[in-house]
Amino acid sequence: MVRYSAKAGVLSAIFMGLGQLYNRQVVKGILFLLAEILYIIFILPYNIESIRGLITLGDKPQEIVDGKIIQGDHSIFLMVFGIISVIVLLLFIVFYLLNIRDAIAVGKQREHGRVPAGFINSLKTASEKGFPYLFLSPAVILILFITVVPLIFGILIAFTNYSSPDHLPPRNLVDWVGFDNFINLFKLSTFSRTFFGVALWTVVWAVVSSVTAFFTGMFFAVLINSKGVAVKKFWRTIFILPWAMPGFISILIMRNMFNGQFGPINKYLQAIGLGAVPWLADKTWAKITCLLVNLWLAFPYYMAMISGVLTSISNELYEAASIEGANAVKQFTKITLPIVMYSTAPLLIMGIAHNFNNFNLIYLLTMGNPTNTSYSYAGHTDILLSWLYKLTLDQSQFHMASVVSIIIFVIVAVMSVINFSYTKSFREEDMVQ
Amino acid sequence: MSRKIIELKNLTKSYNGTKAVDNINLFIRENEFITLLGPSGCGKTTTLRMIGGFENPDSGDILFEGVRINDLPPYKRNINTIFQRYALFTHMNVYENIAFGLRIKKTPKDEMDRRIKKMLKLVELEGFEKRHVDSLSGGQQQRVAIARALVNEPKVLLLDEPLAALDLKLRKEMQIELMDMQKNVGITFIYVTHDQEEALTMSDTVVVMNNGVIQQVGSPVDIYNEPKNRFVADFIGESNILEGVMIEDYLVEFAGKKFKCVDKGFQHNEPVDVVIRPEDIDVTRREDGLLEGVVTSVVFKGVHYEMLVESNGFEYMIHSTDMQEVGSEVGLTFGPEDIHVMKREVTEIEKQG
Repeated sequence: MVRYSAKAGVLSAIFMGLGQLYNRQVVKGILFLLAEILYIIFILPYNIESIRGLITLGDKPQEIVDGKIIQGDHSIFLMVFGIISVIVLLLFIVFYLLNIRDAIAVGKQREHGRVPAGFINSLKTASEKGFPYLFLSPAVILILFITVVPLIFGILIAFTNYSSPDHLPPRNLVDWVGFDNFINLFKLSTFSRTFFGVALWTVVWAVVSSVTAFFTGMFFAVLINSKGVAVKKFWRTIFILPWAMPGFISILIMRNMFNGQFGPINKYLQAIGLGAVPWLADKTWAKITCLLVNLWLAFPYYMAMISGVLTSISNELYEAASIEGANAVKQFTKITLPIVMYSTAPLLIMGIAHNFNNFNLIYLLTMGNPTNTSYSYAGHTDILLSWLYKLTLDQSQFHMASVVSIIIFVIVAVMSVINFSYTKSFREEDMVQ
Repeated sequence: MSRKIIELKNLTKSYNGTKAVDNINLFIRENEFITLLGPSGCGKTTTLRMIGGFENPDSGDILFEGVRINDLPPYKRNINTIFQRYALFTHMNVYENIAFGLRIKKTPKDEMDRRIKKMLKLVELEGFEKRHVDSLSGGQQQRVAIARALVNEPKVLLLDEPLAALDLKLRKEMQIELMDMQKNVGITFIYVTHDQEEALTMSDTVVVMNNGVIQQVGSPVDIYNEPKNRFVADFIGESNILEGVMIEDYLVEFAGKKFKCVDKGFQHNEPVDVVIRPEDIDVTRREDGLLEGVVTSVVFKGVHYEMLVESNGFEYMIHSTDMQEVGSEVGLTFGPEDIHVMKREVTEIEKQG
């Protein structure tokens, strides 16, 4: 038996299309051949150049000769083009491998005595089998260049010294620094003190803000759903309003209300003879204000969710419990609470993940202030994400910002995984009928 | 006769102006299996819920062993309830469900274990302690509910259509089991159902209710054989109800003829309702019958044929194991003891007319 497949495979591996030509698929072979020739002539040189740029990040700094600026290499552009080139190269390699696989497959057909399909026919089968892929590929390519490229770019920044004032293109070049930034974040006292301080507050903030909102929501839900309350719809509508308003508007209004000098809250407090409270100026009060405002904004959401769960609990359960002698408190702790927790615990954990990154509230309310002099570029109420914002947009400390964002990503990802795999309610979500 | 354990005196309850229970009087004896029977909306569940303590009567008294318990909360009544959908705590296992009340009463661990073990043995669910109630079948959930109710050793158990959610076969089995259980445990069962067959099968006493009023109280046999009025006759089983006139004691006229009967105590020429059960009518040759008629329909029902025979403008329903052809002319016979004479109910429309 003739080993068509091996020969065709080897030929295609040597140069695209040769295997196809060997298999007597002339048109296909020529097209593949042309594809590789075009790639080598037009794209490959550019690819090699860009990938070299990605590795060196430029070696010719900007110079000023006789008062004139002579442009040097722009490290960041080189990095972006380098990443794109790597992806293009990878796509070409995938295509190359497909070409080899095709040559082998057609060779196998010939070994079994079948005549390889003509060009028109193979185009037909390709369009039938490949139809879904054909229509998926534009989206995949878009995602590659719009999502994956920036993602890789953002991660790679963490391994450079891209930052103000000494490594800011186009004036200066940026260099690869390996894991230095990660080490500095923990070892360099200015950064480590800020990182751990802000991270601690972020965790406290995320947990306390979510838990207070959750249980306040539960409190109101239970209250509204209790027997004696008339016009439940009215109360539900009233309490849902803070949530229905766009968050940033509420937050900006709150910022004015809590203003230490002109805010109506302090005016009222003074009017009834109590002193003004430094709502946003004092480091402790500012944190409490953040929690209060978040409570106001977020509890209606939990109230709505928990109301839904409560109405699904059969009244017979409470009657059955009352026969057994359970008073209102026991009925709550032994029936309402466990059933509500079963079905809403994932919401609570997602809420914590959300507040972990609740940039809007912190930045619009306090901008992270009051400033903390022992922190670098962060205030007392800054959470990791708002610190990140300041590091990049205000201070151009892109290298550290990238490190912090990678750490945030890992934390939030871990929380999500825990939520999805270990929360009992996800596995027994059909428990409440 | 054992003593009365529960007495209802002039009990009335309205919802939004509609009387759900209208001035009822009833006593229930110790160790009795009593069933409140009626169509939906007849007030049977409301009555049960008032006994259980989930509803307060508008007026009237509920006595438990002679003591008024109107104002006692449910858990102080020595009465327990089995709900229609069992109301099991789905977030707990079988053991915890049964232990719920004991834990609230802070029962010592070893006593709790002993009592729960005994209950699980009673309902034949030994070894199911750690099972999640969701993983149990409908019948098993029912048993857990019973165990949870009985572990408190109540004197009276209220059951609100407890078998309604089960399929026919399981329902029949559970009927027998509930009856056995009631005999074994020796406590009073107050049972609510709309299923007349279930009521007649299980009960010592049946209370037929309609529109919030008790229509008849009696043993299943009495209720079936001697319905007091048209509603009871119609609700309990199939019946032929005809309008007639009581000429004198032991003589009633209907369908244009006079018949001997076993009823007495009516006024002369008093209008009455006459009930003849479908299985009490025999089909004979035309010339041998008391009445003549034509068969208009025959349906096979498994055990018997259900035939409609038209005679003199009235359609008689007959249950018989012998089939007649549709269209054949037949005679109908029945004995004096098959004729049940009842006082005529004056309907609202007749009252106004």
